[in-house]
Amino acid sequence: MHRARWGKSWIAGRILDAHPDTPPVVVTDTVKNAIRIVALDQRARSRGVRLNQTLSDARALVPDLDCHSADDEANRALLMKIAGWCERYTPLIALGSDPESGRDHGLFMDITGCAHLLGGEQALVADLEARLHAQGFHARLCLADTPGAAWAMARYGQDRIIAEGAHAEAVLPLTLSGLRLPPDMVASLGRVGLKTIGCIASLPRAPLAARFGVRLMQRLDQALGREAEAISPIMPVAELSTERRFAEPVTHQDEIGHVIAALAAGIIEPLERRGLGLRRCRIKLFRVDGHVSQLDVQTARPLRDARVIARLFAERIAGLHDDLDAGFGFDLIRLDVVHADPFDGGQTDMMAHQAAGQGHDALVDRLGARLGLDRVQRFVLADTHIPERSFGRQPVAHLGAPGLAARRASAGNAALALAPEAPGEIITRPLILFDRPELMQTIAEVPDGPPLRFRWRGVSYEVARSEGPERIACEWWRDGRGARTRDYFRVEDWQGYRFWMFRHGLYGRETSEPAWYMHGLFA
Amino acid sequence: MSLSRLQTATDILKARTRAYEAQAYQAHRGMALGDGSEAQPLPLGASAVDHCLDGGLACGGLHEVRSPLARDIGAATGFALGLAARAIKADRMGRRGIVWVSDPATRVDGGGLFPAGLAQYGLDPSSITIVEPGDLQGAMWAADEAAGCAGLAALIFQIKGNPARFDITATRRLMLRARQSGVLALTLRQSGEEEASAAATRWRVNTEISGADNDLERGVGAMRLLLTLERNRAGRTGQWLLAWNPKDRSFHHAAPDPRSRANPSAHPLDRLPLPADRPGAPGQMGQVLDRRQDFGRAS
Repeated sequence: MHRARWGKSWIAGRILDAHPDTPPVVVTDTVKNAIRIVALDQRARSRGVRLNQTLSDARALVPDLDCHSADDEANRALLMKIAGWCERYTPLIALGSDPESGRDHGLFMDITGCAHLLGGEQALVADLEARLHAQGFHARLCLADTPGAAWAMARYGQDRIIAEGAHAEAVLPLTLSGLRLPPDMVASLGRVGLKTIGCIASLPRAPLAARFGVRLMQRLDQALGREAEAISPIMPVAELSTERRFAEPVTHQDEIGHVIAALAAGIIEPLERRGLGLRRCRIKLFRVDGHVSQLDVQTARPLRDARVIARLFAERIAGLHDDLDAGFGFDLIRLDVVHADPFDGGQTDMMAHQAAGQGHDALVDRLGARLGLDRVQRFVLADTHIPERSFGRQPVAHLGAPGLAARRASAGNAALALAPEAPGEIITRPLILFDRPELMQTIAEVPDGPPLRFRWRGVSYEVARSEGPERIACEWWRDGRGARTRDYFRVEDWQGYRFWMFRHGLYGRETSEPAWYMHGLFA
Repeated sequence: MSLSRLQTATDILKARTRAYEAQAYQAHRGMALGDGSEAQPLPLGASAVDHCLDGGLACGGLHEVRSPLARDIGAATGFALGLAARAIKADRMGRRGIVWVSDPATRVDGGGLFPAGLAQYGLDPSSITIVEPGDLQGAMWAADEAAGCAGLAALIFQIKGNPARFDITATRRLMLRARQSGVLALTLRQSGEEEASAAATRWRVNTEISGADNDLERGVGAMRLLLTLERNRAGRTGQWLLAWNPKDRSFHHAAPDPRSRANPSAHPLDRLPLPADRPGAPGQMGQVLDRRQDFGRAS
């Protein structure tokens, strides 16, 4: 069953879709050992189906009911998508859960300091509602001083905007369910005649708290604004962001590139004022149909050049597997500075090519933006003798140290720094190491002697010279007691190929038939 | 038109052609850089090779190093890294970075660079940036970008075989970008055939049995490479036996070993030895593989 058959989806009956010739749609779930209706559309409601009705009763009323089982994952994913889209109004967005089912149910948006950007609270709410409706969602909104009051008014109230300071009077006549309480607590309060928030607001607090728990008082205080309530935003808030809205959606990639360049130019001045340079920034493209795509770029050192930023994004877009899906166009493009570091002006190189973004770090940024950060790597050393474990490769962007010179200076960090080994006359380590040692067939003079002849990748080689063994013991603390010792040999055949191979296991002590592996190639 | 006028016109044309050729030659030598500074050729350190190259490799330019067989990749890598190490050593602007771009096809059986080996070879592993794009097109783009980056000492672009996409246009682009930026760009072609390209020189690297070690009777001596300059746009070609000195970071001539490739019975499956002066020779017809199941018992 496909959930998106008639419109995007429906959460808890909030989505109106008027398709007259389709059967009424309901969503069912198992509640209290019965399959009950947890959400329904307007047509089902008009034909007498109610919430919490069992499915069999509803089927008796409406035989052609189209029912789907609830899918929390899909609901949550949809809610997260809407939350991502709502970021066009404010960066502080949190999920609000339903006290009855514990499911995620609605969003909290903290629009403190954001309303003026959209022409005031009235305009913001109207815009939000109109856009959600255009996307096919029927949303109930309420703007109030406290999250608790807004939650209650959105579900049980009539007004959409509660004036500043008026939230207490507004919530008092509402039912107790508006306090985000568990249903059984609401039921037991109702049994003693306490049905509205106003009823308990005037009662003495101590007996209520003793009977129903601290939770009740806390929720009441949160709704009335006596106790502060913080919402936990889903997404981290950007350090700086700049955006551009369009009356006519932009679709062409060139236009988008120009907008990004303009946004980047606009972000330089605030960065300069704060003494920062950006390390990581993100473009968010809000499509008119509610889809939000985002692109990240990361830089190896703090950056403050608008042209370079624009170029990184151009590379990032060029590196996408398919083009940006502009659909009907983007009506809002935002540039977020996700991470910024102090910008040391003295660090800029005096050489001309560095200034023009021609330096090594700029190259690493461009490559990372287009190919992906993890494809541009540098060696790091690890503290072990097992050759394939003795080094790793880490994305340059994550190594963090700016520039080669600085990296050398901070070589005290043993895990990251490479111990400079003086080049010597005798070369004992190969230039090329195979990720996985390759099994070969070998003949040796004596079982624990050097090889005489071997076959590797289908070609047989006659050994002319060999040196070894160089014994590298296993790491018993990592591989366990059964791990075998390796005896490495440097071998040269009569054609001059130089190999690094090892015998796996000590003959007689660890194994009776030691296997031979090819591990590397010398120059 | 009289005969004399025709001759004059021919002379003028000839003179112009000579002028163009000289200009192109100068440009090729890397002496016509944008900033007016004369790029020094990069000597290998071995006198005969440097003499043949008129002083050394053109530093801002593309050069190809190829290994005929997959197992020669060690020697070819050694030569390419040796050139990069020399480029770092000779660089007067203090550029130290090497970018190693590899085509995904090379990773299947090619293995990867080993930092401990690099350090012994005379290269600082931390100066190498490894770029491994997901496809050849991305690799070619990355190589282009790196070749145009003036903050680098060398670019090594490792490819496998002769992909059609990496054609003469692509190599010409690399060449032009490297010439503009002054980066030593090297194509390291693993198990590839000779192919027309815009590279200034093409080197074939073969291994050569090492000389006797003074300390150990049967020990492996210092490495030797049999280098064949198959193609040189600005001069002669030739073949030399070189060795690498990691301490000085320079190549030097090595004496030929009397046993070198002169032990046909030692390896029954060996190919015939190649003629020394080989440029233009026909390619080999594949190689013999040993697929015997009872390896070791037959002999």
